[in-house]
Amino acid sequence: MFTALLIVHGLFAVALLGAITHQTASVWLPARKPAGSFAGRFRAVTAASYTNAIIALYVCTALLGAIIYPEFRVSIRGVLEELDVPAAMGAFELKEHFSVVGLAALPAYWYFWRQPLSEEHRRTRRALTAILAFITWWNFLVGHVVNNFRGYGG
Amino acid sequence: MTPPRPFAFLAIVFTVVYTVAYAVAVSQNYALFTYHPVPGTIGMGVEKVQDGPAMYWYGWMATAAIAAFGACLVACVVPERLAKRVGSGWSWIVPLGVLLFFAYLLRGYFLR
Repeated sequence: MFTALLIVHGLFAVALLGAITHQTASVWLPARKPAGSFAGRFRAVTAASYTNAIIALYVCTALLGAIIYPEFRVSIRGVLEELDVPAAMGAFELKEHFSVVGLAALPAYWYFWRQPLSEEHRRTRRALTAILAFITWWNFLVGHVVNNFRGYGG
Repeated sequence: MTPPRPFAFLAIVFTVVYTVAYAVAVSQNYALFTYHPVPGTIGMGVEKVQDGPAMYWYGWMATAAIAAFGACLVACVVPERLAKRVGSGWSWIVPLGVLLFFAYLLRGYFLR
């Protein structure tokens, strides 16, 4: 059951990673002209259209993470302590706290991305999006690496 | 759906108070409850380790949620002219500061 939930958690995280990276690229590196290349088209998306999907994916990913967290605490954390890898433990502790900060930022993120977009709050939108992107990337990479210490289904 | 203008103020208050309250709850261990994953029991407040580890994370989130929703209730009665003075920048400056605070708080893991 844990492995199934972990896989679903990972799939939600992958979808979230794609959506938030698209949105971040489009607000920080907007395409100036009709995009021809892959990178250009990646940046040329309509950023606002990702907002609700990002919120839903973030909440689902965090919820699944919260459900499987006790299993990590009981079995994987012990492995990390035996292997004496404090950096990995610290990175995972940061992941849990970062995910809560991201959850708390979602109401503001939703409000400042609602249509029609306000030019007055452009910087706030960009900053909130960057923070969520950083949290998502950190959590994805750390979760992936830390789980590898235990191995699949271990 | 267009939310009312004061929602911006409430969203900022929620984000700011929740993140700060969560940082305080973690650093001072103000967990509303403790979860013991091995026996599968929950105890009110901060409890010591029983069989297996004790988890405070859910309790910290609950503590911060009470603080944030309480602050939002208070924010509902703040006059609109005052609410409009609160800049939207607080909604990202404070979370960013809290991220850095946690990096500092947990630096011991990386500096051994």
